[in-house]
Amino acid sequence: MSEHDQFRELIEAYALGALDANERAALEAHLASGCPECAKALEEARLVVTQLAYLAPPAEPSEMLRARVLRSVRADAASGGSGGGSLPMQAGGAQRTSVPMWLWAGVAALLLVSLYSTWEARKMQQDVAEMNQHAAAELKERKQLEAELTMAKHEAWILTDPSSKKIMIMPSDKSMPMVEAMWHPKMGIYVTAQQMPMPKNNKVLQLWLIPKNGAKPMPSHVFWPDSNGKIGEMVANPPEDMAETKALAITEEPAGGSPQPTSTPMWVGGVS
Amino acid sequence: MFLLAAITGRYGEGESSDSALVERFLRKDVSAFEELYDRHSRVVYALVVRILQQGSTAEEVVQDVFLHLWRNAGQYQSSRGPFVPWLLTLARNRALDQLRLKSERQRRREDQAEEIPAIAQSPDYEKALDEKRRAERVRSLMGTLSPPQKKAIEMAYFEGLSHSEIAESLQEPLGTVKSWIRNGLLRLKEGLQTAS
Repeated sequence: MSEHDQFRELIEAYALGALDANERAALEAHLASGCPECAKALEEARLVVTQLAYLAPPAEPSEMLRARVLRSVRADAASGGSGGGSLPMQAGGAQRTSVPMWLWAGVAALLLVSLYSTWEARKMQQDVAEMNQHAAAELKERKQLEAELTMAKHEAWILTDPSSKKIMIMPSDKSMPMVEAMWHPKMGIYVTAQQMPMPKNNKVLQLWLIPKNGAKPMPSHVFWPDSNGKIGEMVANPPEDMAETKALAITEEPAGGSPQPTSTPMWVGGVS
Repeated sequence: MFLLAAITGRYGEGESSDSALVERFLRKDVSAFEELYDRHSRVVYALVVRILQQGSTAEEVVQDVFLHLWRNAGQYQSSRGPFVPWLLTLARNRALDQLRLKSERQRRREDQAEEIPAIAQSPDYEKALDEKRRAERVRSLMGTLSPPQKKAIEMAYFEGLSHSEIAESLQEPLGTVKSWIRNGLLRLKEGLQTAS
């Protein structure tokens, strides 16, 4: 194995920060010598390593943190724009002037008033920014709740309205669970299932509408079960009318879904 | 470039792209910074919490990361790579620095263990969707590795341990740990390319 190959084998661990000191120093010397192949491999390895961040369990930073960060940034932005005027403090030194004492007192008083006004204005600006921040956070939360409520109403409507049609989407493999869809002619399709296995190899599940006229299957939502194997997927705007649809089908597709099915349907259910 | 497209292709989907936002942010546009914060603070926070295992310290580090980002905006250069991986690298480095300080302090005061506070786990659905897909993809690919191989990579990434520290901790030969990590990352890279 050439010396270059030996260094090439260290690139991934270097990007991860796992090399011990001696190997790290040797590789850094090799990189400093300007090896383009290793430099390119390192860039790619670093990009791959950053993807490991997504292995961290989801966690939500607090609104307090957001408010703190944005308050500091706004204060920075405000002070950055104001410039750095220096105070006229040199004047009272050893050199005598003919300016009378009462005038200096007046200037000092004015300066104090001016400083206080600036501080008061800055404080007020911060208070207003904080209040705006708070209001924006509450508005955001309310919008989120409204969206969730609307979604829940749609789901409840679809599940209870007599004009909804229940479609049993049967698995080709008898050991797999059955998927149920409720299709409301105006509100959309609500797909539910329990104990669904997680698709393997980075695949996702995709819903298809099979038209009656023999045309190509219409691609719909891409989804996957939650950690309990549960599915509750709302398709608000199906790509085809119920009357024009012969069946619903579900396939496993590569991440992101496909424009046409790339595998045999694992679930199929007749619509009309 | 293929790998880059595979990994970065979905950032900012459905919203104005990160690059346009970053461009505004580099011109010290506070609203652009705010949007970047809203878009990426969750994944940064989750990463820092995972490294530090401690919510309140994690918030300090995340605050430090974003303020550093704002005050040193010029440090980021789009020509040197996409924004989010850069931000995640900054966050990881800061968290690992904090972890090492904490370890030293803890060695001195072992009996004063800090309580881990409750952490909210209900991300905004719309914005979390993209991160969710990304997380699913990486978890799925990591799921194809053997458990000790996965463990070794996670120890290096989240705990900042070196080959020999991992080998000692897992009681495995150094050469084995090196192979696990290298082959695991290469498989992850291949998987990310095929997943695109």
